[in-house]
Formats: sequence, structure tokens, C-alpha cells
Amino acid sequence: MQQAVGGSEAVVTTLGPSPMLRCEGLRKRYGDRLAVDGVTFSIAEGECYGLLGPNGAGKTTTISMLCGLAVPDEGDITVDGFEGGTLEAKAAVGYVPQDLALYPDLSAVENLTFFGQLYRLSGKELQTRIGETLELVGLADRGKDRIGTYSGGMKRRANMAAGLLHRPKLLVLDEPTVGVDPQSRNAILETVGKLGIAVLYTTHYMEEAFKLCDRIGIIDDGHLIAEGTADALIGDHGGRDKVHLSCDGADLDELAAACRELENIHDVHEVDGNLELSTDHGPAVLSAVVAVATRHGVDLTGVEVRSPNLEDVFLSLTGKELRD
Amino acid sequence: MIRVIALNELRRRLRDRSVLIGCLAAPLLMAAVLGISFAGAASTVAVRVGVSGASPALMAAAEQASQLPHGVTVVAMPSQAAVKAAVAGGTLDGGVAVLPGQMQLSSLLVPIVDPGASHTPGFDVVTRGTSQLGQEYAESMAAGISSVLYADKVPHHVTAHPATVAITTQSVGHGGKVNLNFFAPNIAVVFLFIGSGLGMRSLLMERSAGTLARITAAPLRPTQIVLGKLLAIFVTGLVTIFVIWAVTTFAFGANWGDPLGVLLMCVGATVAMCGIGVFLTSLAKTEQQAFGITMLVGLFLALLGGNLLPSGSLPDVFQVLALGTPNGWALVGFGRLDQLGEPASSVIGPFFVLLAIALVTGGLALTRVRKMVEP
Repeated sequence: MQQAVGGSEAVVTTLGPSPMLRCEGLRKRYGDRLAVDGVTFSIAEGECYGLLGPNGAGKTTTISMLCGLAVPDEGDITVDGFEGGTLEAKAAVGYVPQDLALYPDLSAVENLTFFGQLYRLSGKELQTRIGETLELVGLADRGKDRIGTYSGGMKRRANMAAGLLHRPKLLVLDEPTVGVDPQSRNAILETVGKLGIAVLYTTHYMEEAFKLCDRIGIIDDGHLIAEGTADALIGDHGGRDKVHLSCDGADLDELAAACRELENIHDVHEVDGNLELSTDHGPAVLSAVVAVATRHGVDLTGVEVRSPNLEDVFLSLTGKELRD
Repeated sequence: MIRVIALNELRRRLRDRSVLIGCLAAPLLMAAVLGISFAGAASTVAVRVGVSGASPALMAAAEQASQLPHGVTVVAMPSQAAVKAAVAGGTLDGGVAVLPGQMQLSSLLVPIVDPGASHTPGFDVVTRGTSQLGQEYAESMAAGISSVLYADKVPHHVTAHPATVAITTQSVGHGGKVNLNFFAPNIAVVFLFIGSGLGMRSLLMERSAGTLARITAAPLRPTQIVLGKLLAIFVTGLVTIFVIWAVTTFAFGANWGDPLGVLLMCVGATVAMCGIGVFLTSLAKTEQQAFGITMLVGLFLALLGGNLLPSGSLPDVFQVLALGTPNGWALVGFGRLDQLGEPASSVIGPFFVLLAIALVTGGLALTRVRKMVEP
């Protein structure tokens, strides 16, 4: 459905028939700064799409445009078949902003009642939805308490409840787990995982994107620089497995030369008095590497196999760390 | 949707008690202070002002024109010399001797436009330094006689048959209900302005708190959001002025005048003060700026419009400028009802002026505030 193209080239996306969200050539400038430059992607019904990038990459600006909070300078947005920014498009989106956007003096139920009414919910239907949504985010027993009395994690869950209340077709979550305790973070991830609706999830935590998202778009400096499933991205841009050998006081030159002779070892180099080997499949070469070390009388104090991850993908594509 | 936004605004302001303090507690406190200060008669001061050289017909017309407080008694005095002697001796607190021989049509304007002028051809305003009220009523009486003569309501020749009068009153001073009637609407209008300015501050607070973004992301038109906020401000403003009206009337016996007229003026004053308050707030970029602008302009308008000091006590230019302020026009309307006892129909003019002010300032505010909620 789409192809990821690395380097500084823009992603070329082949958009499927009537996706839930379709963004095409989005461009937004704030003064002299081009915050978003030609971003194109789509999200299918029921798909969880992760927008992964460091702070300031353009994630929130992209979200603002597709939620109708900012008007793109160029490009088109379609939500559930409606032009972005229209009332119909807004009604189809559930927006969960990065910061808490609830009234601390009101209870969760009062907050949800107000935000539900903005989406034309009323009466018994509204009350039922509020109960179900609070249950979903694990706050059913605290619904009548004021938001101001909640912990940080509970506030985040209530924040998400306000975006889910009207049963949107597309849920937009802008870094929902920043600064959240592990328990609430897991609860949020678990909730998102079982929604079954189209989700746009922005984060700079690669493990969240890897765990939750069906597809991931990597954004940096306003450009969508790669897109695809996590496995595909890692396969295409993450590089090889690394086998790290910790060896105290051994003759590393001799061992390195012996490792280079092994099958499927592509590169060997010294790192801080230890050896690092590049290979297509770390576990497969492990026994041979250990045997070579034993044969050369090297006492291995540690062996670690590390597969490439999205951090490596980002490093490979941009030359910098994801959290830079 | 406008109603939903407004109700949420009111619920939040009730919950954080700002509406209780701003719309109920503060007005109640102010009404109580005004009531206790002005409603009693314990500290009334007797003031006697003598007038000589005017016929009874001229005196009657002048008395009405000078709008002296209720309870004034007019007593004849024998001559200009008698007035001077009585003022010097303390029997009178002030006096006016009309001097027909020195009077010209052009000089008649002097006591009207400059009541405290040191030289008033055709009049001898006799005062005693220790009686401020006596001086003010003597000057008012001189202005009243001048205005009647100038308007030619009374033939000039009657002044050739001098009559002498003295004015006495037992109900002026800081204990009169007249003052309560005057100050109660004045203070209410100040509260309206401050309340509306601070009310719109909530939009700035919502913007910084992030809730405005969530509301804007909902399927609403920007105008609905702004009108919802305005409706909440209007309701709280109306409650404020009704509270002051009710408390000063029922608890302290103030008389604001014809209830229908008062109702009309309450609505007119509220929409106008909301309009200008919201417009000024829309000029601010932060809550702190909004607070500063509201307080600064509120105080300035209160002074200029005559809310804190009667506009008659301000320089002439300020009396004209007062009519450029919404509170000045509100006080014109309230003054016709409570000071002059005129019917509701007399405030239709000020009401429409206030509506016009509301439309202009509210329209400007709507344009500016819309930009805050538009993408």
C-alpha cells in the first residue's frame, strides 16, 4: 500500500481507497520556520498509525491541521470522506491533546458531560457513554471526583476519555504518555490497543510505537522520511544484529581476525576494549563465536546480542538520536 | 451549543466561586455599605439658602430647574442686605441676590456653565466658607434662575418686582436616600464593567489551559464559542445589577425609579458594559494584561462617566466627555428615573445609545475574539 523511501527524500505513499484519514502534501509555515513540509500519509479503518519523531519534528503541527485547529498552507486533508476542518470531519475525530485539557474544578463526569454535549450527545445516551468510557479508562470509581484531585496518570486517562466519549472514527493521541507513571502508561497503551478504531498516535518513545502501531511514519524536521510496518522499517533501515563480546585483557586483534573468518559475520571492530560483530542473525552465529573465543583462549565475561530497533532506523535515516 | 458553552462557563465560575464573589458577595457588600451609609437619617444637616430679587413665579420655576433635593422649603427673605446679613450671621448657609439692573442676556449663561465663577453679572452668590452644601445649593439656585430667564419661560419684567426667599432643607447631607439612589446604580455599573472584563478573561485562561483547543476541535463554529462566553458574561452582569437593585431597594429603601425603566436600563447598561469590557479584554494577550486593562480602563471610565464623583463636580470638558462613555449614558438614564422621577419612556433614548455602544464594541470584540478560536 505504501513504500518507504529513506534518506532525505519524501515518502511516496500510494493511498488506498477511501481511508479514514488521508493527508496529502501538507505544508505549514510559522513565520520563517517550515514546521511541516509536504507530509503525506493515510490511515485505514481500524489501523493504528504511529507518527514517530523527536520533539519539534512536526507531529503536533500535523495533528493540529487534521483536527481543524490549524489551517494548512498547502495540501489536503480528508477525514471519513469529509474535507478536513469541516464540522463533519471534526465530528469524526476524537482529539486527545498532549497537555491535560480538562477543567480541574469539575469532576470527570461533569467534564465529560460538557465535552459530550459539544458532540451533540445528550440525555440517557450521554450518561451511558460517560459510564462506559470511564470504565474503559479505569476511572469508573472516581468519576464524581474533581479532576484537580487526580494523580497525573489519572488525569491523562480522563483526558483520553474526553476524546473517546463520542465514539470517534479516528482517535488522535498526541504523546499521551509523556510524564506518566508506568502503571498509567500501561493502562493507556492497553486501552488504545483494544479500541479497534483508526488511531493516529504520536510519540517519541519507539517502544510504544513498536508495540502499538500497525504502521509507523518517521517524521523529522517537518518531513515524513520513512513509513511502513515496524519490521519493514527495521529490515530496510535498521542495519544488522550486533553481537557484543566482553573480554577482559585478551588479545583482541587475534580474536577479531578469527571472527572475521566466520560465516555470516560482516564486520568486526573494537569498542572500548571489547569486540562488536555485525551479522544478519545474531543468535545463529553465537555458538560459533563462543567456540572461536574458547579456541583462542579468550575468557568471555559477557555476550550480548542486540537486534536493530526503531532507534537505529531513526539514526540511520537522520544521523541523529531519536531523543536529540 | 451557545447555551452549552454558557452553562459550562457559569458552572465553572460557580464552582471556583468567582461568580459568587463577583456577582453576589461584592455587590451585596457594596449595597450594604451604601445602604448603611446613605439610607439612615441620623446625620442629616440642615441647610438654609436665601434668595432675594426674584418673583414667586420665577422662584418656583427656578427651583424645579435647579433640581434641588426633595424636602426643600422656600422661605421669603426681605432684601439682598438681609440675605448677606443672614449668611454672615449663620442664619443662612448661602444665598443668592438677583440684581436685575446688572443683568444681560449673555451673562445669564455664566452661572449655568460655570457655577463657581467669581464674577456672575446679575447675581450675587453669597456664601459662607464653612458651609459647602450652602454654597452648592446657592450656586444651583443661581443656575436655575439663569436657565429659566435664559429660556424666557418667565418674562423678564417680573424680576423688577423683587420677592425674597430662603431655602431650607432638613434632609440633605450624607444621610439622604437621594445619595443612595444616586450611588447604588453608579456602583452597579462599575461592577458590570469589571465583571464583564474579567469574565472574558476566561477565554485567555482556557487558551493557556488547553481546553480551548479541545473545544475548538469539536464540531462548533467559532461564533458559537464566543457567543456562549458572551451569554455567560451577560447573565452574570444582569444578576449583579439585579442584586444591587434588589438589596438597596428592599433592605435600605432606595428608590431607583420606575421599575420598567430600571429594567430597561439594567439590560442596556449590562449589554453596553459587556461589549466594552469584552472588547478591551480582547486587546490583551495574557490574563495578566486583561486584568490590568480592565482595572485601568474601568477606573478611568468610572471617574470620567461620573460613577465615583458626580459629573457635575468635574470640569466642564469632563461633563461632555462623560457622554462618550457607556457608564455616563447609563447614569443619564438611571438619573432620570431616580433623581428626576421621570417615567420609563424617558430612558428609551439612553437605552438605545447603550445598545448602539454594545453593538459597536461587541462587534469589534467578536471580530477580535473570533481570531482566538479560529484555526
